Amino acid sequence: MGERTTCGEALVRLLAEYDVDTVFGIPGVHTLDMYRGIANSNLRHVQPRSEQGAGFMADGYARVSGRPGVCTLITGPGVTNASTPMGQAYADSTPMLVISSENATRTLGKGWGCLHEIPDQEAVTRPLTALSATALSPDDVPELVARAFSIFSSSRPRPVHISVPIDVLAMPATGDWSARTAAALGAPDPAAIEAAAEALCRAERPLIMIGGGAVDTRAGGVAELAELLGAGIVPSNAGKGIVPDSHPLNLGTSMVKEATRAFVTECDVVLAIGTELAETDSYVEWLPINGKLIRVDIDAPKINDLYPADIGIVADAGRSLDALLGLVKAELPTPREDAAERVAAARRQRHAELDPLERIHQSMWDAIRAGLPEDAAIFADMTQLAYTGTFAMPVERPRTWFHAAGYCTLGCAMPMAIGAKVAAPERPVAAIAGDGGFMFTVGELAAAAELRQSLPILIWNNDGYAQIRDGMVRRGIPPVGVDSPNPDFLLLAEAFGCDRVRPGSFDEVSASMERALSAPRPTLIEVRQGAEWLS
Amino acid sequence: MTTCGAALTELLEANGIDHVFGIPGVHTIELYRGLAGSGIRHVTPRHEQGAGFMADGFARASGRPAACFIITGPGMTNIATAMGQAYGDSVPMVVVSGVNQRHELGMGQGRLHELSDQRAVIRNVAAFSHTLLRPDDLPAVVERAFAALRSARPRPVHIEIPIDVLDLPADGIEAAPAASPSPPAPDPAAIAEAAQRLREAQRPALLLGGGALGAGDEARRLAEVLGSPTTLTSNAKGLLPPDHPLLLGSYMASREIAACVDESDLLLAIGTELGETDYGYDEPAGFANGAPSLIRIDIDPEQTTRNARPSLAITADARSAVAALLERLAGHSPRDGAARVARALRTDPKGSLEARFQRHHRVLEALRSALPDAIVVGDSTEPVYFGQTHFNANHPRAWFCSSTGYGTLGYALPAAIGAKLARPEAPVVAITGDGGLMYCLGEMASAVGAGAPVICLLWNNQSFEEIRHCMVEAQVEPVGVDLYSPDFLALSASVGWAAARAETLDALPELLRAAAQRSRPTLIEITPATFGELG
Repeated sequence: MGERTTCGEALVRLLAEYDVDTVFGIPGVHTLDMYRGIANSNLRHVQPRSEQGAGFMADGYARVSGRPGVCTLITGPGVTNASTPMGQAYADSTPMLVISSENATRTLGKGWGCLHEIPDQEAVTRPLTALSATALSPDDVPELVARAFSIFSSSRPRPVHISVPIDVLAMPATGDWSARTAAALGAPDPAAIEAAAEALCRAERPLIMIGGGAVDTRAGGVAELAELLGAGIVPSNAGKGIVPDSHPLNLGTSMVKEATRAFVTECDVVLAIGTELAETDSYVEWLPINGKLIRVDIDAPKINDLYPADIGIVADAGRSLDALLGLVKAELPTPREDAAERVAAARRQRHAELDPLERIHQSMWDAIRAGLPEDAAIFADMTQLAYTGTFAMPVERPRTWFHAAGYCTLGCAMPMAIGAKVAAPERPVAAIAGDGGFMFTVGELAAAAELRQSLPILIWNNDGYAQIRDGMVRRGIPPVGVDSPNPDFLLLAEAFGCDRVRPGSFDEVSASMERALSAPRPTLIEVRQGAEWLS
Repeated sequence: MTTCGAALTELLEANGIDHVFGIPGVHTIELYRGLAGSGIRHVTPRHEQGAGFMADGFARASGRPAACFIITGPGMTNIATAMGQAYGDSVPMVVVSGVNQRHELGMGQGRLHELSDQRAVIRNVAAFSHTLLRPDDLPAVVERAFAALRSARPRPVHIEIPIDVLDLPADGIEAAPAASPSPPAPDPAAIAEAAQRLREAQRPALLLGGGALGAGDEARRLAEVLGSPTTLTSNAKGLLPPDHPLLLGSYMASREIAACVDESDLLLAIGTELGETDYGYDEPAGFANGAPSLIRIDIDPEQTTRNARPSLAITADARSAVAALLERLAGHSPRDGAARVARALRTDPKGSLEARFQRHHRVLEALRSALPDAIVVGDSTEPVYFGQTHFNANHPRAWFCSSTGYGTLGYALPAAIGAKLARPEAPVVAITGDGGLMYCLGEMASAVGAGAPVICLLWNNQSFEEIRHCMVEAQVEPVGVDLYSPDFLALSASVGWAAARAETLDALPELLRAAAQRSRPTLIEITPATFGELG
């Protein structure tokens, strides 16, 4: 780096060396030197309407592409605005790099009342990140960036936050500013794999649970293992699509349903790959795992947390799966067959037990599915429709269903969809949100309109925070604060220069989704839960 | 049985809390049990950041704290920015949040809304943060929180309650007001010393900050008794009325005003940080270098050590300190401060400003003439930057903005809603830019829901104009500052607001008066064309 290159500019060049092609951010007085670099680079800059939008967009970008989403933010409010998306990415193990400014070094920790001052910015994001660090000199920056990419490539991916004080950003960058080699993921211990394969091959009724950590395993690998073993499959929300929902051994993301739990209860060996087995993956108090538990996870502490493993394998999911497949194939050359029938019975029973609202949801998801091609990326917000969608929406491919269940954040879906569309412009992308959730980040509709994204945004309007209203009624609490007046969503969409439609039948829902995928602007599709045609 | 959650609500009411801002969730439901039958009004924003800003505006307009009920995880990270603004500007608020169950805390099991260490995030934006582990502790914890609010530098206080504790019985807790200690009175010897120096001073000056608001009219009396030119920070505006002969204004960076302060032989600073967001970034007034002798009175002992070194520091509540000084100064003959002020203001302080700032003088004067008793709530935007330094408010608590301290965008509208709920009889005008309004757009719907007919004066330049200027000045090619904006008039109609564009500045007063008569909120858009400039 030459004398004239500032740390801020060099930082941007360094990101490009790590194959970063897009940054999400809102510039400010505190980030000018980063933006000097962005202006002079090939990086694409996408501007949300709040830093919360920036974070969600980066998250959506990462989930759809598998590459870290990058945000460039101002100090203080920029960082606290992004703290919710960081919390979400942390909970759902998404790689996200947040680079923010910080007040000048000489002011840090002194409480002078500087603009955007917060006592300890690094401490604020520490519970939300795998690494939160402040570069006190330009030389710190390449090292911290290298650590970030090393975390993304070889450990449980989670957000990394690097703060760079405004005076450091303006300093000359000297020394080595080249990208460093990223570490590779760990391979499994052969002895543990052998033990796991043996247990699985001996199992009478094995089960495979898959989570987001298994998304990048070899296509068809999990299904093949299940077929050989005659194992049922239960994916988490993050694992949905790794095995097609239509696969005869797939029970769907349906642990919340009695029929599925009854199936799981009887399993004698459970293989859990890249899943936390957390309550937000199942929405049940306690998983009915009675069999021997084999856990494969990149994150060592996970192996023995709520559901301690009988066999624990700390390694990359893909390598572990391949190793397991090799041994199982040798042991069981022909697939076992009996499981498919039991899975089909459980699915039938689940379907028979849907409550009336869930049946409406099911019809909605069938209509949405009919309007979207198989490779469409679907972002579902926190809404009752989506809670049903976890098992009701048929998904056939990995990285097509996104429901950020871990942190469970209202308002995340639309900005995530915007970020995904930026990452994969050729992919169909759709957002589904409730009226309450949509309003959390309504401003980001302007970002989608600005980008002229062909983005269907379906609002499931039940006039309030229905999940909570129902909860209050159940607990004998007079409902308070759950019925806020809504805008006229169609007029609102028009004001943003978006297309808008209120379908009058399930067929129209499908047609609206399909049309929206090729419109030269976003389309807001409103469905009112009380509409007559729904029932 | 009274649950812990219901008991807390009763305790808050007993302590004078009559407004709660919150979005109920699974993790706070039990707080709502007592609400329906209480005297507390609950207002629902569309984002927890809105809840925090509403509580902030409520407190700044009335001097009384409001409470926020917030869910754990995303709710708390969402409100963090608003707490940061209140922390930076010393505004009281009570934030009550849920947190996961006691046995889950710190376990990293991936629970719903899990945050690995919520208080570590919040500790940086709160003066007090406590996790309630047993219902028996509730009264003591509430007492501590209110002691921090009432007897120390006012800043947000946070009580988090694990959801299992919220549900526990808490019978026998008396809903009594906390016995808060009185705020510190000044040391009589120090006051005697200060009064002696003030009597001897030939050219005293008075620097009043937001901490002096509690002194009310007595602050003005002190200026008159001393005959001291007086500056007011943004949060102190109105302590001296605009036509007061001793009022120097708020533009500390003005050469003439700074010279008037610098030529003083004694400065008395009360309840001010002397921070950069009030006293100027580029040209610190001479007192910052310790030129005139400085006496500082502050409720926060640490504050007297920051930014400028005093020759005498007094830790005390402003009200009692000013009263004590006035007593000691009885019979003192005031110096001729008015002549010094007249000399300093002979040159129009705004004359040195760029035209783009100066033009907003006419906007703010139109506002003053149309609605002299309005409470003006500013965002971070051009007209507010101008007003912060050049607008003299008619009354205390009638001007505040977010461009001081934490410097957030999106503050004005929700804070105005809070102010309107606190002072329903006063017209409340939010001044915001288009960029800022997009941050909290959903709160337009909350204003309707809350029945708060606020007026939003929207300065629409379709960009983050301030940042563009900084970029141009720093020779950075502008990136990410041009915004695609919705049609704000159509948008207003879609949320049930009245709306109009001020075609000329002359039309503005009538539009404002008409808006103040309405029972629903009104948006008034001003654009460069309003000034007769080409857009």
